[in-house]
Amino acid sequence: MPYKILDKKELAPKHVMYKIEAPHVARKVQPGQFVIVRAFPNGERIPLTPVMWDREDGWIVLITFVRGKTTMRMANELKPGDPILNVAGPLGNPAPIEKFGRVLAVGLSAGIVEVFPIAKALQEAGNDVTTLHVAPAPMAILKDEFRENVSRHIFEGFEIQEGWRTKEIVAEIARRGAEKVKELLSEENFDFVLTVGPAGAQKAVFNVVKEFGIPMHADLHPIMVDGTGMCGACRVMVGGEVKFACIDGPGFDAYKVDWDELIHRVGFYTDLERKALEEYLKSLRGE
Amino acid sequence: MAVRRKLIKERVPTPERPAEERIHDFKEVNLGYTFELAVKEAERCLQCPVNYAPCIKGCPVHINIPGFIGKLVEYRDDPDKAVKEALQVIWACNSLPATTGRVCPQEDQCEMNCVMGRVGDKINIGKLERFVADYAREKGIDEELLFEMVPKIEKKGQKVAIIGAGPAGLTAAGELAKLGYDVTIYEALHEPGGVLIYGIPEFRLPKSIVQSEIEKLKKLGVKILTDHIVGRTVTIEELLQEYDAVFIGSGAGTPRLINAPGINLNGIYTANEFLTRVNLMKAYKFPEYDTPVKVGKKVIVIGAGNTAMDAARSARRFGAEVIIAYRRGPEDVSARVEEVHHAKEEGVKFEFFLNPVEFIGDENGNVKAVKFEKMKALDERDKRGKRKIVGTGEYVTIEADTVIIAIGKHPNRLIINTPGLKVERGRIVVDENLMTSIPGVFAGGDAIRGEATVILAMGDGRRAAKAIHEYLTKKREGQNA
Ligand SMILES: Cc1cc2nc3c(=O)[nH]c(=O)nc-3n(C[C@H](O)[C@H](O)[C@H](O)COP(=O)(O)OP(=O)(O)OC[C@H]3O[C@@H](n4cnc5c(N)ncnc54)[C@H](O)[C@@H]3O)c2cc1C
Ligand SMILES: Cc1cc2nc3c(=O)[nH]c(=O)nc-3n(C[C@H](O)[C@H](O)[C@H](O)COP(=O)(O)OP(=O)(O)OC[C@H]3O[C@@H](n4cnc5c(N)ncnc54)[C@H](O)[C@@H]3O)c2cc1C
Ligand code: SF4
Ligand code: SF4
Ligand code: FES
Repeated sequence: MPYKILDKKELAPKHVMYKIEAPHVARKVQPGQFVIVRAFPNGERIPLTPVMWDREDGWIVLITFVRGKTTMRMANELKPGDPILNVAGPLGNPAPIEKFGRVLAVGLSAGIVEVFPIAKALQEAGNDVTTLHVAPAPMAILKDEFRENVSRHIFEGFEIQEGWRTKEIVAEIARRGAEKVKELLSEENFDFVLTVGPAGAQKAVFNVVKEFGIPMHADLHPIMVDGTGMCGACRVMVGGEVKFACIDGPGFDAYKVDWDELIHRVGFYTDLERKALEEYLKSLRGE
Repeated sequence: MAVRRKLIKERVPTPERPAEERIHDFKEVNLGYTFELAVKEAERCLQCPVNYAPCIKGCPVHINIPGFIGKLVEYRDDPDKAVKEALQVIWACNSLPATTGRVCPQEDQCEMNCVMGRVGDKINIGKLERFVADYAREKGIDEELLFEMVPKIEKKGQKVAIIGAGPAGLTAAGELAKLGYDVTIYEALHEPGGVLIYGIPEFRLPKSIVQSEIEKLKKLGVKILTDHIVGRTVTIEELLQEYDAVFIGSGAGTPRLINAPGINLNGIYTANEFLTRVNLMKAYKFPEYDTPVKVGKKVIVIGAGNTAMDAARSARRFGAEVIIAYRRGPEDVSARVEEVHHAKEEGVKFEFFLNPVEFIGDENGNVKAVKFEKMKALDERDKRGKRKIVGTGEYVTIEADTVIIAIGKHPNRLIINTPGLKVERGRIVVDENLMTSIPGVFAGGDAIRGEATVILAMGDGRRAAKAIHEYLTKKREGQNA
């Protein structure tokens, strides 16, 4: 069931936006839900998040952060007019859209794209929403969209130092995120915090929020395969129980998540992912 | 009075690829009969009368087994005709013979009480059924037969939605299309087939067979919407507004886990995840295919059903040493006899009376060993007739860098949470017509049975199609009256 790409844009380095015809998803999707995309015949199924949509016109917008083979291949090989082979969904449970009061919604790195629909809905539900985006300076995205839709948007950027690789960048995102959240929570009162982003950085932010005892919701990103509750790849320990993030989540009470286990689990395939990426880069160089 | 034939006691063997060769690839293990061999095996059948034949009684869908076997002998001089006639007999009860011929537990069903067993080997019914289906497919005889039926289909003008494209859903869809209904299948995954496509490995059931079944359905006019998850993309309530009836064939896809410390360590897969990566996503061709899988040097598979055998044999094909650890004894292994035999030939080791109590990890969160309690069997039997087992208080730890959990599955959760749908112990409750607690919504296969078999799912699909036909006929007549 191919789904047509209506538009494609690079929003910032490594951040690619796809507008895709997917009426079945557009009709039903709620903030906090995701889709599973399969872009190539020999490709993986990867979870991505509808950031915007139009129920009537039947399109959704996905924004990928180019990090491995699949996201890079999509960026390199897909163009407007091309089909995406599969877009399954919507999947997962909607985020809790309730009246909390003052909300701080934190997007760590590309996690900000998933924050957008939730923050917008929370604002529409009568909350006073501050969004915080922590990322390398050139990667500020969706600034205007946030400013139009929430009370306040803060971009906390930093320069990438010579010799930094992903590991150092993610560490900096965690450090900056934790610091900025600490500053905000010390100076202002918030009733609810929400985060999306790399597990390590989410944990760092959680450790700060915990000190203030504010309720916190975390959207988790374990590795997924089917997204329908059939495989158990996405299992996470929440409140001492095994949960499947794709059907029980992806959002959970941050206080109940076993963060260290999650961090281990998302890193399980790092070596093979690197291998796949290297082989792909080699093939691009014609080797 | 039939001509008395000489009893041939021994089965005509089916050629198989040697274990040393096949553990290096995922190609099919058993090569099946040629027409000549099939006729030779068919000749051994005593052609018991239909009302007596124990093979027919043993088959859950009551295929006229002597009937189809007899055609192979009767038209031995015209193989195409022989196969066409035989296929027609099989199709009266079973629309997926290439699959069931390969995966039915024949030893517990059609072949169990075959009278030839009293004097020699039982008739190899499964392989004969497979032969008929394979030959028909290769020669296009199945399509020919199907299209002799198509122009006769009278459109009913009513629509049926099918949830899930496993054997239950595919069969219901095919039968309803043949009856003239407008059928649409909603399938969550990107490829239809259910367990046949994501679970059972290529070396046991080539995917091209499943795909050919699906092509036939499409030619009958069945529409398949992949990427549609009922319960999320669309609800049953919404389907009922658009369709005149709904059939749920969503299977039992939720893997059961072991409630023991360390279950989420890296390297511990459910059989569903492992097999999905390997079969559906073709991880055995990584990095040509993008989906990775990690198979260590020492693999422990926990469980002893078909799923466990499939996982173990798949892991062997990655070059691992594989142990199947089962908490009961050899007599309680539930896998098909042929699978156990093939697994052993391929070097899978079996350890019995071991119950996992803890998964032990290293500092990086990767599994490195499994601690088991040794069990012993009592003489007393449980409800299913299996000997009860108890712990001995003695423990043993076995090293492993990959563990695959294959201890069973529950019905898919998304569907069973439908408001108004009556469910007991996770299974959808149906009446004798396979109708659920929601009028117009029917169900069958693993969704109502828990984990069962392909032929039972298929039989349900067929039965449900009949019931839906009756239900919709009444509805039509009600409207016309
Ligand atoms: C619910 C959910 C929503 C997501 N939404 C977005 C989004 O809107 N935009 C976005 O850029 N990313 C999103 N992600 C993450 C996205 O799925 C990964 O970026 C993508 O799978 C990477 O694939 P790759 O081949 O490019 O990289 P790889 O090299 O394969 O992997 C890089 C890293 O991505 C993660 N990853 C890899 N495969 C998977 C997988 N199958 N499932 C989950 N994570 C995986 C792992 O942490 C891995 O180390 C989401 C993840 C989840 C679980
Ligand atoms: C590894 C393995 C080996 C097996 N070996 C054998 C064997 O040798 N012999 C044998 O007889 N049986 C075997 N079985 C059992 C057999 O496969 C099942 O009993 C049979 O497939 C059940 O058929 P079904 O149509 O009810 O469900 P399934 O085959 O499970 O199909 C259900 C379909 O519904 C889809 N679905 C689920 N939820 C939704 C939803 N919400 N919306 C849309 N679609 C949905 C699923 O994606 C799937 O495609 C095996 C099972 C496994 C897992
Ligand atoms: S469907 Fe299964 S049980 Fe029935 S005859 Fe065929 S192989 Fe035997
Ligand atoms: S019971 Fe055996 S011998 Fe008798 S008809 Fe069936 S297959 Fe043939
Ligand atoms: S991704 Fe397979 S169960 Fe969640």
